[in-house]
Amino acid sequence: MIWQPIQDAELGCLSYIVGDPTTGEAIVVDPLGAVGAETYILAAQDLGVNLVKVIETHVHADHASSARTLSQLLGVPHALSHRAPASFAFEPLTDGDEWQMGQVHIRVWETPGHTPDSISILVADVRRSREPWLVLTGDSLFVGDVGRPDLADPNPEAIHEASVNQYHSVRRLMSLPDFTEVWPAHYGSSPCGGLFMDKKPNSTIGFERRFNPFVNMEDVETFVTQQQRLLKPPPAEAAELRRKNLGL
Amino acid sequence: MTLEELKAQVDQGQSLMIDIRLGKAFTEAHIQGALSAPFSQRGWGRAVAGWLKREAPGQAVVLFGDNAVLVNSAKGALEAEGISVAGTWDAGLGPWMAAGWPLVRVENITADALKASLSEWTVLDVREPYELRSGMIPGAKAIPMGELTARVNELDPSKRYAVVCASGSRSQSVAAWLAEQGYQVANLVGGMSLWIGAGHPVERA
Repeated sequence: MIWQPIQDAELGCLSYIVGDPTTGEAIVVDPLGAVGAETYILAAQDLGVNLVKVIETHVHADHASSARTLSQLLGVPHALSHRAPASFAFEPLTDGDEWQMGQVHIRVWETPGHTPDSISILVADVRRSREPWLVLTGDSLFVGDVGRPDLADPNPEAIHEASVNQYHSVRRLMSLPDFTEVWPAHYGSSPCGGLFMDKKPNSTIGFERRFNPFVNMEDVETFVTQQQRLLKPPPAEAAELRRKNLGL
Repeated sequence: MTLEELKAQVDQGQSLMIDIRLGKAFTEAHIQGALSAPFSQRGWGRAVAGWLKREAPGQAVVLFGDNAVLVNSAKGALEAEGISVAGTWDAGLGPWMAAGWPLVRVENITADALKASLSEWTVLDVREPYELRSGMIPGAKAIPMGELTARVNELDPSKRYAVVCASGSRSQSVAAWLAEQGYQVANLVGGMSLWIGAGHPVERA
């Protein structure tokens, strides 16, 4: 499997190129505006792969995306959750969608919470195993933390519902085997997580099961209360960034 | 450059066309006479410029690609090494094919498709002798890649060849070269790795 994280350390953002060496096909996940669409095109060429799809794990509210520009420059689909309220045409992804690029198998899980349109992407290399080797968790599960529930809609009822959804999404991700690698969309001091988010960009399901405080809150009300108690101030211009990334 | 200018460059044969697309795309189809040099940000400009200065000094260079970002980067990389670029094309093969002009083509064949139609093909295995111990496709003819130019007359132009290596990378280059020479060829995608992975039969010497 071809595997290339591309990060923006300043904003604590992570994006990924995931590809298959036999067919020379690859997807880009969560391409960053700060990195620029051209960087992904050049990186893919260096890796010897053609980018066939641009996927976002959700419509971001903390940073500018380059997904639309990249999909236009390449003439390939831009895929988002079918629940994304975007103004532009996109390929809708639904829970259970799966496809294969040579040896690489991709499956989509809807993991709402941080936003209603949050998804996680399970990646298997069938040459090694049919079981997922890693999961791109977007803002659904971070290293040591979980995505905040207040950026898509800041009214109190919506925050409560988002937090309840986040609890169930985290539990679903925890149904994966311990060895599954966790690669989120953020790390470090990104404003999309809470106080416990680690500066290390990746982890495993097993390590998070054991040591992530939010995973170990057994009942939903404790989770919801703690999540709101530990909120950081929202990123500046969150509403404006999400509006722009939605094409509104 | 316009499509007509591109065609004129090819017909007059005065400039050297460098195809910067990935090897897989080049193998699938390219314009006769183009040289394959897949662009990379690491060292491409120096390597290609060095080759041009040595092998084709003073010859006009045209860059062929299917993406403006990559073609512009390649142009910049050559110019930084003192090579001037006479023209660039970043719209891929689409307009050329739409005009109905000829291309050198290689079919990419999957392991399952090759297995199903094995009797229609002569399998040409271009791996090194030590690699053949992992098994060969039954009936395959073995000529290591490095010996092929000297032994190409062992091939029969009336036959169809499926070129095979370990992972599909060397066979891709070989297939493109054989197609340039006028042979009918296909490239086995993923090579023996995917053939064996799919559980298809192999014979061991």
